[in-house]
Amino acid sequence: MAKWLKSPDKMARKYSLGAVYFCTGCGVIEIPPVITSRWDAERFGVVAAPSPRHANLFMITGYVAVKTLKAIIRTYEQMPEPKYTVAFGSCPVNGGMYWDSYNTIKHIDKYIPIDGWIAGCMPRPEAIFIAVTKLWMMIDKDAANGYIRYREYYDYYRRNQKKVLGKLAWPPLYPLKKNIEVEGKESKGKEYKEKELLSVRK
Amino acid sequence: MSQRELELFFGPQHIGMVGNFSITLNVKGDRIVEAKANPGYLHRGFEKLMEYKNWTQNFPMVCRINVIEPDSMEMVYAMAVESLAGIEVPERAHYIRMIVLELARLASHLFGAWAYSNMLGFDTVAQWAMAYRDYMLDLFEELVGGRVYHIYICPGGVRRDLPDGFEEKVMKFLQALGGHVPDFDAAFFNNRIFYERAKDIGKIDAEEAVELGATGQVLRAVGIKYDIRKIEPYAAYNNIDFEVPVREDGDAYSRLWVIRDEMLQSASIIMQCIEKMPKGKVYTRTPNPFKWIIPEGETYVRVESSRGELGLYMVSNGGNRPYRVHFRTPSFTNGILILEKLLENASIADVGNIMISLYVVAPEIDR
Amino acid sequence: MDNALEKEIKSRFVGIEVFTPQKDRMTIKIRKENLLGIIKFLKDKEFNYLTAVTCVDWIDENEFELIYHLSSFHDPAHIMIKKRIPRENPSFTSIIPIFKNSQTYEREIHELFGIYFEGNPRLTPLFLENWKDKPPFRKDFDTREYVKETYDSIPTLEEYK
Repeated sequence: MAKWLKSPDKMARKYSLGAVYFCTGCGVIEIPPVITSRWDAERFGVVAAPSPRHANLFMITGYVAVKTLKAIIRTYEQMPEPKYTVAFGSCPVNGGMYWDSYNTIKHIDKYIPIDGWIAGCMPRPEAIFIAVTKLWMMIDKDAANGYIRYREYYDYYRRNQKKVLGKLAWPPLYPLKKNIEVEGKESKGKEYKEKELLSVRK
Repeated sequence: MSQRELELFFGPQHIGMVGNFSITLNVKGDRIVEAKANPGYLHRGFEKLMEYKNWTQNFPMVCRINVIEPDSMEMVYAMAVESLAGIEVPERAHYIRMIVLELARLASHLFGAWAYSNMLGFDTVAQWAMAYRDYMLDLFEELVGGRVYHIYICPGGVRRDLPDGFEEKVMKFLQALGGHVPDFDAAFFNNRIFYERAKDIGKIDAEEAVELGATGQVLRAVGIKYDIRKIEPYAAYNNIDFEVPVREDGDAYSRLWVIRDEMLQSASIIMQCIEKMPKGKVYTRTPNPFKWIIPEGETYVRVESSRGELGLYMVSNGGNRPYRVHFRTPSFTNGILILEKLLENASIADVGNIMISLYVVAPEIDR
Repeated sequence: MDNALEKEIKSRFVGIEVFTPQKDRMTIKIRKENLLGIIKFLKDKEFNYLTAVTCVDWIDENEFELIYHLSSFHDPAHIMIKKRIPRENPSFTSIIPIFKNSQTYEREIHELFGIYFEGNPRLTPLFLENWKDKPPFRKDFDTREYVKETYDSIPTLEEYK
């Protein structure tokens, strides 16, 4: 009772996390068991939010390919603050099983900030609930501040995003302090000769 | 007054999308003029990665191509390596493989039933389907140790024998599921609302289906009785009695009914396998993984997964790694050309209906 | 499938080799005969289902090999038709007029191997976006080096501060 009186905003935010409904990768098969009646996530206060503008929590389930990273960044930037992210599985941590693939991201903390990591391939539904309770403890102590990191070091994140995705089609979310010029995909790639072939054959 | 043409993105982050897939729709009013499918959100370059690892290291990787039914991928890889290397599998292993494959097929059909009934609005039936699937994952956990990815069917047999009391538990589960079938029928399959929502939606005729490369439930719902378990039986399917359900109309209603009939046939196959299972070894030893060399050759094997014909073409050039691996997945043809053809002239409200009734898994398209 | 089909193919077309390595599997290697003629003949027989189109990169022999898999609904047979094309500026005709569903397979092979198919109206990228390097499934593209250059060279936040 005392906690509710001291900081009601934190208690209200903790116990009603709205998760964005985005099935990013392999881990999508453990999400329907978590939200249906056997392992009920609603008793922890976690419901699915249809739009990122109404959401609080972003779960990145499984590995991230380069095309998906674009969608993830755009969704993350549309969520209102304060927002929390949790990474699922061992693939976002260090590449996992696809460490030598040319199309997956190896460590997702370099592109968007992550508050908590869940290990496993696939993690059990009980592991998801333990992660939610740990997130509550972090919110109490003010340690879940990924979104503050994103605002402070936005140059660093935007530079890395440009390096992997090429020219970004959306404007920067916060004003940039330094001038970020990085040798990204656009300037470095050797244009493969195929394009000339196509135009000649027509 | 003429209507403007708009471009909408039914993109990866959407409450009605199952899996990571996106469709670009050109819309005029409420009717779709043109639809373009955008796969590629889950591309890992599997076939290239498998060329860097040797024959035994590839076997835990293969199951992650189709996340909803991983056992058929393991089966097709094991069959290809056995065919190239000339390994004989003992008889008891064939029956255990059949039990695992049919349990995986049941679990996958229940997942599909969850997705479809959730989309139409029948939440109760969706919760029942997911709950029964969870009991099946408990059975798998007792057999193999993991709920979702069972690294169990390996080249040479299966990894270990069934634990004590496993057959009784499977029979008890199947009897419980069988007793609940009249409830499922009354709530969903014989429901008038389902009939009105799904009849004549996403209709395709037989010639067009064969031209565009349909497979699996889409073929069986237009009247073509094609099932690889009957035409080219693998494992021990020629000793088991079962039927292949077929419907005539080719719309979403027939496809869901074909899925329901297949679930009942799978249950009957599992019960027959448990009765007829012989005793013996379950595993033929394969050589040391670091020194296993398979002679030159190529092979094509195929398996009936829950979505259609799954094939694997493998080439070896006499080394300890594959030279080229190509997976022919059923969602590759079902998910791109047929989806674009069926979405022409449909209304926006039916996009989810058509997409989920085609029973497409996004990771299978991209590999 | 039996020897009658094999004999008929051998008598009608010259410049090919036919093997039956196992029961219900037939391989046809084309040397100088026209591919479209054989595929049309087999489609009129009863093999009217194109299962897949594969490409193998034989870098030591400087050739690509295209393989067309055909099957039928009443016969357990599976026929593979193979054709080799040179590795420099590779291109081939598309078989869309005969089998409509080869469009997606040709798009995939164009993106991942770099082979141009004449007559395919839609050779746009399928999986990759903004890809400027060589086609990734060729044997001279090393993925581990590419990963080191692109992903591992990015510093973490602690190193950046």
